[in-house]
Order: sequence, then C-alpha cells, then structure tokens
Amino acid sequence: MQLKKITSQMVIPVVTAIIAVLFIYLGITKYGFWHDTRGPLPGFFPTIIGILLLGLSILAFFGSFKAEKTSYPIENWYPAIGVVAIMLATLVIGMLPSLAIFVLVWLKWFEKYNWKITIIGLVVIMAIVIGAFVMWLGVQFPKGIIYNWIMY
Amino acid sequence: MENLQMLFMGFSVVLTVQNVLVTMLGAVLGLIVGAMPGIGSLAGVALLLPLTYKFNPTTAIIMLGSLYYANMYGGSFSAILLNIPGDSPAVMTALDGYPMATKRNRPGQALFTSNMSSFTGGLIGMLILTFMGPALADLGLKFGPAEMTSLLLVAMTSIGWLVGENPTKGVVLTMVGILIATMGMDTLTGSPRYDFGNMYLLGGIPFTPFVIGAVGFSQVLKLMSERNKKVEANLTQKLTIKGSMLSLHDVKRLLPPAIRSGFMGTFVGVLPGAGATTGAFLGYAMQKAFKSEEPLGSGAIEGIASCESANNAAAAGSFAPLLALGIPGSGTGAVLLGGLMMWGLNPGPLLFSSNPDFAWGLIASLFLANLLTLFISLGVIPFLIKILTVPVKILVPIITVVCVVGGYSTSNSMYGVIIMFLSGLFGYILDRNGYGVAPMLLSFVLAPLLESNMRKSFIISHGGLGIFFEKPISAFLLIVLFAIILTPVLKFILRKVRTAKN
Repeated sequence: MQLKKITSQMVIPVVTAIIAVLFIYLGITKYGFWHDTRGPLPGFFPTIIGILLLGLSILAFFGSFKAEKTSYPIENWYPAIGVVAIMLATLVIGMLPSLAIFVLVWLKWFEKYNWKITIIGLVVIMAIVIGAFVMWLGVQFPKGIIYNWIMY
Repeated sequence: MENLQMLFMGFSVVLTVQNVLVTMLGAVLGLIVGAMPGIGSLAGVALLLPLTYKFNPTTAIIMLGSLYYANMYGGSFSAILLNIPGDSPAVMTALDGYPMATKRNRPGQALFTSNMSSFTGGLIGMLILTFMGPALADLGLKFGPAEMTSLLLVAMTSIGWLVGENPTKGVVLTMVGILIATMGMDTLTGSPRYDFGNMYLLGGIPFTPFVIGAVGFSQVLKLMSERNKKVEANLTQKLTIKGSMLSLHDVKRLLPPAIRSGFMGTFVGVLPGAGATTGAFLGYAMQKAFKSEEPLGSGAIEGIASCESANNAAAAGSFAPLLALGIPGSGTGAVLLGGLMMWGLNPGPLLFSSNPDFAWGLIASLFLANLLTLFISLGVIPFLIKILTVPVKILVPIITVVCVVGGYSTSNSMYGVIIMFLSGLFGYILDRNGYGVAPMLLSFVLAPLLESNMRKSFIISHGGLGIFFEKPISAFLLIVLFAIILTPVLKFILRKVRTAKN
C-alpha cells in the first residue's frame, strides 16, 4: 500500500493537537484544575478548551486526507524575507534607514521600476512613517548599534 | 423619545472640530482601503489601529467606526468599475454594477446608485440601532455569569461554525484563539500562566501586533500572487460628477429595493456570524422576488440598490450587539471590540448607563460618517480610476512597512514586530489551507470574558452544570447553540442520504 504524502492540510491539525496536549498537561500539572473550596483554578479553562481542541484536531486530521495538496508559491515568501532583513538591519543601522533601504531595493531592483517612481514611492512611504508615526504618535524607533556607538 | 434625546446628546459629543475631522479622515481612509482590491475592511481597520493611539478613546473609536463604515462604500467601487470586488460584501454588487458600467455604458450612474443605496441602507440601520441598542442593553442587564457564558458560546460557535466552508476548521481556530488569549496572566487570580519562562509572554500576546500580522501581513503575502496582474478599467467615457447624476426615474427605481433591503440587512447584521456579506446576498436574493425594470444581472439599478443597501445596513446593525452586549458579529467587529478594550472601555449592558457619552457619541458619529462618506464618495468619482489602478507591486512594500512600524509602535519594542511577523506567517499558512482567521480573532478578544464568566458560574454552582440549564435565558441560548452545531451535521447526513439514494 502506498503511503499518502504528508501535506500541510495534515500538519496543521497535528500542530494544533500538540498545542492542545501541552495546554492540557500544563493546565492539570502546573496551574491546577479544581480546588474543593476555591473552585476552578487557572488551569481549568485552558484544559477544557485544550480537550475540545484535541478532539476537533483529530476530526480535522481525518478530514484532511481528502483535501488537495496546498501550494506555496516561492514569491509569496519574499515580503517575509524582507521583514527578517529589516529586523536584522534594525539592530545595526536602526529601523528608519532599514525601512528606507527595503523600499528602495524592493521598488528599484525587485520590481524594476525606474528611478522616478522609486523615489516617489520612497518619499510617500517615508512621509507616512515619519509624519504619522514619528511626528504624530511620537514613536521612538530603534537607532541601532552604529548610531549608539557614534553618539555614546 | 428618550433615545432621540440621548442621540442629540451624542451629536453634541461628536460635533467638535477634532471629531468631525477625524470622522472625515476615517471616511477617506476607509474609502481608499475599501476601494483597493485585495485589502478589505478587516485588514484596513487592523492596519490603521495604531494611528488612533494619539486620540482619546471616544475620538479613536469614532475614527475606527467611520473607517469601517466607509469601507462598505469603497468595496463597491472596484466591483462596479473593474468587476473585482474590493471586499466580500461587494461580490453581489459586481453582478449588476459591472454590466451597468460597461454594457449599459452608465458607470457614473452605477456608482451613484451604489452610494445612494449605501446611504439609505446605513441610515435605516442606524435609526434601528438608536432604538434597539439600549433595548438590547436592558435585556443584557438581566444576564448573570451563566447567561453570559451561554451567549459568548453562541457568538463564538456561530462565527466558527457558520463562516467558511468547513465548520471543523472554523471551530479549531476558535479554540486556538482562546488558548493564545489565555497566555500571560490568569484573568481572575492574576497569577502567571503559560508564559514558558519568557518575560514578554508574561504580559500575554499583544492584541494590535497580533491582528496586524494575522490579517495585514498575511494579506501582503497573499497579494504577491497577484502582483503581475494588470488592472485596467474597461470604460469608454470619462467619469465626472455631473455625468454621474441619476434621473428622477432612476431614483424612483432605487428607493424601494434600498428601503426593503435596509430593514432586512439591519436584522441580519445583528446576528453573530451573519454580517454584511450575508446581508448583501440576502438583499439580492430578496430582490429576485420583486419586479425589476431590467432583468437582474444585466445591469439593473434594483440589483445594485438591494445588495449595497443591505450590506451597509448590516454594518450599522452589527453595532447593536457589539455595544449592548459586547459581542462582535464579525472579524472586523472583533478588532473594533479589541480597540475598545485597549482604551479601557468594556462594551456590554452597562456601557449605555456608565459611558453614555461614548456609546451615544459613537452612534451619532455613524450618522455623521454616513453623510460625510456619501459626499466624499461622490466627490472622488472623477479620481476613482487612478485610485483603483494603483499597482499591487507598489502596495506590497507600503503595507509591509506599515505592518512593521505598526507592530513596533504598539509595544515600543521589537517584540511587537516579532509577534506581527509570526502571526502573519501563521495567518498566511492557515489561509492557504482553508482556515479563515476571523474566528480566531473573535475568540482571542472574547476569551477573557468567557473564562471569567464560566469560572464565576462554576464557583456559584459549586461545580454543577445545572446552572446553565436552570435559568431560562441561558437554557434558551444553549438550545440555540446546539441548533447551530447540529445544523451542518444534519445537512451533511441529509446530503449523504440523498447521494446514496441517487
């Protein structure tokens, strides 16, 4: 008999079942389920929900055998890679320069827009960020190691 | 009469320069976000949530309310001009809107019909909300912990069970949302729970970055597949306000379906799990039973009027359970509720008596938003093609940057960005596999309320389940709950039986 290929449709209920078991285990052993005089303890509610989730995950797992394989186009992950790059670059050069470089690289080299559209796009996005978040909301974005090294 | 007096008091709260400007800003942003295909009201409200931090709670929620409301207007623009619904409630609008714009060569009139019907439906919904909201709150005052537990179970289950194609997946995500919400501090004792020794998790999963990621950033990842699509309007004439005016005959055709659907849509909006999309579908279906001058689907004014009026009325109607009982009817409602809670306001039966300024101010702001959005949406008609054809290639970096700074600004630490990023990936993977995230957001917001009421009920009953069946309201709600759960099961069995017979 040929084994059916593992798909993400099957993996999701397995993951939710593991989460359910973890919450049930910690709920009963660490946080407590019920006390004779105090009634329900902190683990009571998550344990009940965990039991329901476990049952439903098993149901969803068996239902997933009929489901078609899900595709994940590689290009859909590019913004995620971009956000990881922004997070790492923020540690070194700060968040605002990281965001500006991300927009520049995205529009000019990834989407291959000409310099005019790239600069307009960059100015509009940075105006939103600086205008709304820095000036309006007063958010102090991280400045990075290099800035801190020069200034202090 | 008392309700009308309170509504006037609400107008005195709203009619300050700041609140009017904020309502206008919400209306403009809502129209733009709603008009751009692929963003939608849920992502729109989530992405703009951090911008409201500067305001006081009343002004902040007024902005979010008008933004949500204007979204309903904006969704129809791309449906009419491009045959691409900006949001799910606008799917039905495209059926008659696009043929009216292209085959009948009346794009301006189709937009005008949509705007006028949205205004009419919204106005009916708001008038009913003015009278029904406080009545619902009075009923809610009779609710103890057992009734609230049953009501919350009905709300959560109906969204998880009824929204989407697969009820099991909906309920799985409802449970996941509840478990995520239990991380941090125990709601009753304040002791740490499921923090896994992490300092950040001790404070729980922050609401705003979680929502921005789950609906905003996941939307960016989905949009990537559409970035090479060319969006072009198939119009032969230039859009102008003058050229878009309706004749008296058109208005006579528009009003009866808009009024009928307005009433029907409001009551659909009150039901949890139904919302604007169901309202639009039912409004259109109801119009089929009435006479239309042109056949539905061929560009009939009646077709546009029926669904546009119903979806705006449903959006207004959904504020009744949200304000009076603290129960949102949709994912967007859950984000609004989360926003209210963030500002320390607890929607529920006591809101109308403890915070009348806020409750009535919000209702009055919806009236104002409805009027302002009508004028703004008519004013932007000449510029619509430019707004609608902004390439996805440019939207992707804009939304990504807004997600990152929005995630950071709520916690002033990279923890917010990490939560946004992880919930975005989680939301995207779930979406690709047919799990809609709306039930998870709803349960995430409502979980603390459900837990505290459930535990209080068990403390009162010393662990007995009878408390949920002894009280008539709770028993009735539990019957509703079982009916909701059993309906898809019975449908499934019936389908199997029919297939076997065939």
